[in-house]
Amino acid sequence: MHNTTNHHHLNHQQQQQQQQTQNSHTSTSRSSDSGAGEPCATGNKWASRLLRECARAISDKDSSKIHHLLWMLNELASPYGDCDQKLASYFLKALFCKATESGQRCYKTLTSVAEKSHSFDSARKLILKFQEVSPWTTFGHVAANGALLEALDGEPKLHIIDISNTLCTQWPTLLEALATRNDDTPHLKLTVVVTANIVRSVMKEISQRMEKFARLMGVPFEFNVISGLNRLGELTKEALGVVEDEAVAINCIGALGRLAVEERGGVIQMFQSLGPKVVTVVEEEADFSSTPYDFVRCFEECLRFYTLYFEMLDESFAPTSNEKLMLERECSRSIVRVLACDEELEDYSTSGGECERRERGSQWSDRLKEVFSPIGFSDDVVDDVKALLKRYRAGWALAQPHQDETGLYLTWKEEAVVWASAWKP
Amino acid sequence: MMKGGFEVVHATLDMIQPHHEPLWDNFASSVAFPTSVNSVPRQTVENRCVNLERNELSEWVEQVTKQLIDDLPPEPETRPDHSSSLQDADTSTMVCDDSFGAPLLPAGDFSRPRKIRRSVLDCGAGEELQWSNNELGNVNNVSENKLNRLDEQGLSLITLLLECAVAISVDNLGEAHRMLLELTQMASPYAASCAERVVAYFAKAMSSRVINSWLGICSPLINYKTVHCAFQAFNNVSPFIKFAHFTSNQAILEAFHRRDRVHIIDLDIMQGLQWPALFHILATRIEGAPHVRMTGMGSSMELLVETGKQLSNFAKRLGMSFEFHPIAKKFGEIDISMIQLRRGETLAVHWLQHSLYDATGPDWKTLRLFEQLGPRVITLVEQDLSHGGVFLDRFVGSLHYYSTMFDSLGAYLLADDPNRHRIEHCLLYREINNILAIGGPARSGEDKFKHWRSELSRSNCFVQLPMSSNSMAQAQLILNMFPPAHGYSLVQGDGTLRLGWKDTSLFTASAWTSSHAFR
Repeated sequence: MHNTTNHHHLNHQQQQQQQQTQNSHTSTSRSSDSGAGEPCATGNKWASRLLRECARAISDKDSSKIHHLLWMLNELASPYGDCDQKLASYFLKALFCKATESGQRCYKTLTSVAEKSHSFDSARKLILKFQEVSPWTTFGHVAANGALLEALDGEPKLHIIDISNTLCTQWPTLLEALATRNDDTPHLKLTVVVTANIVRSVMKEISQRMEKFARLMGVPFEFNVISGLNRLGELTKEALGVVEDEAVAINCIGALGRLAVEERGGVIQMFQSLGPKVVTVVEEEADFSSTPYDFVRCFEECLRFYTLYFEMLDESFAPTSNEKLMLERECSRSIVRVLACDEELEDYSTSGGECERRERGSQWSDRLKEVFSPIGFSDDVVDDVKALLKRYRAGWALAQPHQDETGLYLTWKEEAVVWASAWKP
Repeated sequence: MMKGGFEVVHATLDMIQPHHEPLWDNFASSVAFPTSVNSVPRQTVENRCVNLERNELSEWVEQVTKQLIDDLPPEPETRPDHSSSLQDADTSTMVCDDSFGAPLLPAGDFSRPRKIRRSVLDCGAGEELQWSNNELGNVNNVSENKLNRLDEQGLSLITLLLECAVAISVDNLGEAHRMLLELTQMASPYAASCAERVVAYFAKAMSSRVINSWLGICSPLINYKTVHCAFQAFNNVSPFIKFAHFTSNQAILEAFHRRDRVHIIDLDIMQGLQWPALFHILATRIEGAPHVRMTGMGSSMELLVETGKQLSNFAKRLGMSFEFHPIAKKFGEIDISMIQLRRGETLAVHWLQHSLYDATGPDWKTLRLFEQLGPRVITLVEQDLSHGGVFLDRFVGSLHYYSTMFDSLGAYLLADDPNRHRIEHCLLYREINNILAIGGPARSGEDKFKHWRSELSRSNCFVQLPMSSNSMAQAQLILNMFPPAHGYSLVQGDGTLRLGWKDTSLFTASAWTSSHAFR
């Protein structure tokens, strides 16, 4: 299989050029009279065009243009319409917050409302439904589990440190594999580190269920939750309770991306100090961190990624799905965070919540290579992933890296969207 | 004999299948309405309100609104208050009257919105007024029972929505924005509960308004194609548009009796769905088909020309001589010279009013042009909703109105029906958005008349023509097509036909003639 990452960059540039030449709308008409007053409203990808123009106008501080574009977006946007309308709506919210310097407050309000309205049932329902219609999260789970099982084979005492917010949906399959693979079922200690408040409140239920499941599987099991952290960066070696004779594995699903940028190196070092046998890292393939001060570039990358995500959601769920709506709202919070909260870049300790500054697989690789070496995924694991993808609708594929790249990519319509990798000391 | 005629008509109606037929081809076999004057037996015409429950959601809204307003600090009264509550038991004339005269208190104080009394019915001298009013006297008791049944989630959402509206009405946009951030995260337009759906859309409309306030712009951007598409979908599942079409057509038909040169001006023709049925009747009249001219007005010349083409083709198939004149302007923005008038022609002006966009422009000019034209008949179908007044008045009125509308859809369509979603999102939400926008649905800063019927009756130039029993019969036939049969309510009162859901009137159809009609 060919590597799509480079291919993807080229595509993106070509697309940009195409759009610029096609971009004929300059509607300055504010009247509702002529049918020609809204050329952008009927074409394809109007939201992307308008949003990018608006970002540029903000960067250029062109006040009247900003106003005009925000007005158009406001009129055309809707969080309940088609993909363009949704993107317009959520990005408009972020742009409005940026223009009124209310990003931080907005983010706080949005997250606290979301936390209040989630329950164990709704959170569980949401993630299970998402996993049913899309391999977005299950891809990482299957790849990571495969690497974990292979690296920990033969070890009698396992300690898996799970840093994720996927509500332990990864572990039942692993527990099953441990129970059935050979005669000596190892002892598994699972330490789950959660930071999202939404997840915190449901961990009690989850731990009960996990313990019950492990008993059913006949796997000697210990379950710990570390949930007192304000931010992931506060995580210490001591808090994790690693013991001498354990084989340690560290599983990070979307975790590194939630660390404050300046803390990432330190945390990776801390992982090394735990002496793990294997570290699995799964991250969404987007770069919101390398150009934080270049608003337009950051904006365009954000738009690129979320356009993919929203389109994926649209094609995976039914049109009137409440689960889809909740996932979209989650994105809305992230978008506000990335685009309208940049004034908090320096002072992470007070801003609370989670960072949304994602990095691409290649960037993570560079960081991880400083203390770890990559493990390739075995053919068996790759086959497992392929089998997984077959269970979903068309559009999903697997991309394997070229020579100097590591990990596996999940692709949606040939765009890399999720990166999974495994490392050893 | 009449019975037989009735049955034939009914059978013809059955042939109309709302969902799949291409728009035009079906109309060749569409409704033929009875031309004889003998009406359908009285009992089928009587009010269907007998077994109605009061609309739960809108009752709620009344209760909570009242609470909210009553809790505010008192405002100095500027006129004798002949009703301090929403409980006018006898006639239920609760008039949403803006002529109180008291301006809102300056922004520094906690401005109290005027006491709002909502118009349930403008009833005149009796006639067949048959809304079931007895429950109004028991508003409190009944509400309490209903309140218990409605879920807490819905209750807290609506309360927050109302608080937000009050914040907007006193220009506290920061607070409103914060509340809206919450609301727009909590309510889903795909919910099973109609109340939650309504809140989702109202919250969104208010968010839009807050942003426009900040931008200082109030004009709209409209995608007419989407709107027309949604309009069509609405026409398929709800009787209101057909009600408008068929009752108006009947009134126009009657005005055209024995006239052989006729001219119809449709103020907002859209795709002209209304006219084939009328053409069919005119073409098959005993006295022979008239020569028909039609002036169609709308937003885009392209769309108008297309509509004109379709109508011309249809008329040709019927062998009726027909001319079409498109005018891509708003009625209130043209001069009488733009309308070709010919001697000896009988003029009908038709207007199906909605809040999707401002179809007619400045209201006072529209009225003046009506007067100048002096048509033989003006058929007016209005939403029973006030388009004018201050924000909070419009908010309360439209919350009541659209809750009812949403209820009517929810009674028949499933929560995840994509058609229902299209109607709610592309049509109803668009209207809500316009009504709540700065300055209201004119979207231009100009105020709109509250009710056109009042304006016309106030004017010396017009006299109301009571809707005939044939029109009523038409309306009844339409209702028979739309389940659930006992949800929609049809009432005739004051010469006007009203179609609503449960006991809330949503559309009124009336006809007017110039006092000195010379056309």
